[in-house]
Amino acid sequence: MLNRKTNVVILVLLLVLSLVMLVPFMVMISTALKSMDEIYTRGGILHFFIPDTIHWENFIDAFRFGGANWLKYFWNSLFVTVVTILISLCINSTAGYAFSRLNFRGRDTLFFASLVGMMIPPQATIVPVFFILRHFPFAGGNNILGQGGTGFINTHFALIAPYLAGAYGVFLFRQHFLNFPKSLDDAATVDGLSKFGIFIRIYLPLSKPIFATLMTTKAIQCWNDYTWPLIVTSSEEMRTLQVALVLFKDSVATQWNYLMAVTCIIILPLLILFFVAQKSFVEGIVSSGIKG
Amino acid sequence: MSKKKINQDRVGYVMIAPYYIFMIVFILLPILINIFLSFTDYNLNTMTFVGLKNYTRMLQDPILKRSIVNTLLYSVVTLVLNMGLGLLISILVLRTGKALGVIRTIVFLPYVISMASASMIWLWIYEPGYGLLNSIITFFGGVSQDWVYDVELAMGCIILVTVWKFVGYNMVIYTSGIMNVPAQLYEAAMIDGANVWRQFQYITWPMLRPITFFLMITGFINNFNVFEQVSILTGGGPVNSTTTLMHQIYIRGFVDYQFGYASAITVLMMIVVSIVTALNFRYGSQGQNTDLS
Repeated sequence: MLNRKTNVVILVLLLVLSLVMLVPFMVMISTALKSMDEIYTRGGILHFFIPDTIHWENFIDAFRFGGANWLKYFWNSLFVTVVTILISLCINSTAGYAFSRLNFRGRDTLFFASLVGMMIPPQATIVPVFFILRHFPFAGGNNILGQGGTGFINTHFALIAPYLAGAYGVFLFRQHFLNFPKSLDDAATVDGLSKFGIFIRIYLPLSKPIFATLMTTKAIQCWNDYTWPLIVTSSEEMRTLQVALVLFKDSVATQWNYLMAVTCIIILPLLILFFVAQKSFVEGIVSSGIKG
Repeated sequence: MSKKKINQDRVGYVMIAPYYIFMIVFILLPILINIFLSFTDYNLNTMTFVGLKNYTRMLQDPILKRSIVNTLLYSVVTLVLNMGLGLLISILVLRTGKALGVIRTIVFLPYVISMASASMIWLWIYEPGYGLLNSIITFFGGVSQDWVYDVELAMGCIILVTVWKFVGYNMVIYTSGIMNVPAQLYEAAMIDGANVWRQFQYITWPMLRPITFFLMITGFINNFNVFEQVSILTGGGPVNSTTTLMHQIYIRGFVDYQFGYASAITVLMMIVVSIVTALNFRYGSQGQNTDLS
């Protein structure tokens, strides 16, 4: 392969690169722990990464600043993420099973037609999806024509529903179930299980990796999304963390230590999830990438 | 294939129903509604048909033109940097041995955090007075810049944040692709005396063609929809130097309440996305048909 000298050069290069990639994280953490006086004193470059005195209280003061209801925002983000994951797992696994293992007329046509949904990026449809949710018949004071009220706008339903659409999960489950041997179904049928029973008792317990993959993918999508909550919610009651963070930036103005402290806490749940379930993360990306 | 009704699993329709309903209501129906809305003037309360007015207005909208140029510039530069660097890093990490998972994890880390948080951190790095970037520049005796507040530099700042966040994604996809290239090919090449560059040129690069194509198509579509970092870092400014198509849709629709016009811009975007997707279908399956499960 390569000689040792080139290897060392490449290694040094990669180490420098990793350091550069980590710089924003280091800046975030060190700034979160500094006082504003220290942030506004000029020092060497090292001064940026190592605080003189550590101010843990920033993490408390930041969340008390300006009377923002962070517990509420946290709850909204958590609720939206968890409910999206649970419902996605249910509807995608059942559909994936039906598309791969059941015989019904138009099965494959229906499946491939639905893949069209994978081609449209969700951001591109914000205007019409907003329109549909606002003018949903009988929702939020609307009449049968969808007029008169605010529909689903500013509700948890509006935050969650668009995340549930999408063919990626079904694709993942169908692919997984297609690898199961048919004899498994036959044996279960002989034992008296119905088609649905086979799905619940045999297929689901054997699908934990797919559940983990879909879970991490959906968690990133819901927890991190800024665009959709920005558009579909207006009240503080419904605000999610990402929207709250951007609004917080305007209210703290130049209090960078508070802004960085809040940012630290907001990214923490996903970082933890990433380190716990790194394999599922990467699998989710590779399968969405290559097979999508 | 039996046409007997006995073999029909009716429960199948029930099992796909929830998935299909969401698909229709939130993906297929919106496309039709959007086309309909683009021929109207709709401001949340009243709706009037205006024919092609929104489309003729698009032709005379200088900010929209600016946003198209910006979107294309952003998309192409980001795509080239993300894919080029992603491929380079994945090759370097693989060459030096498999013990370098840590480096891969670090490069991938920014992908996990939200664009909103990433933007907050970078806003502080770009801050003209005491931010990291200007501190480094003045430390070495350079001249401070205004970064996101500078007409010339703002777009570059947005691109840098995006590359920082997504280069790891491209690296992961490329890494999985390279690991699936049969090792015998390299062994045979080495026996024939092919050097590292030749191996890349004649084995790695051709074998990665489907993946490169995939990353190009999806990357272009995603970049073409850029919104969050633009909205948060610059708000489309200064003087519209960073506004993009998606940002225009947001401003026209959800700030100006001109939903008809926003829908017309959306139609334009969907046409571009459809063309790119069609290219994907036309050329995507050519070459190596790699399955990387």
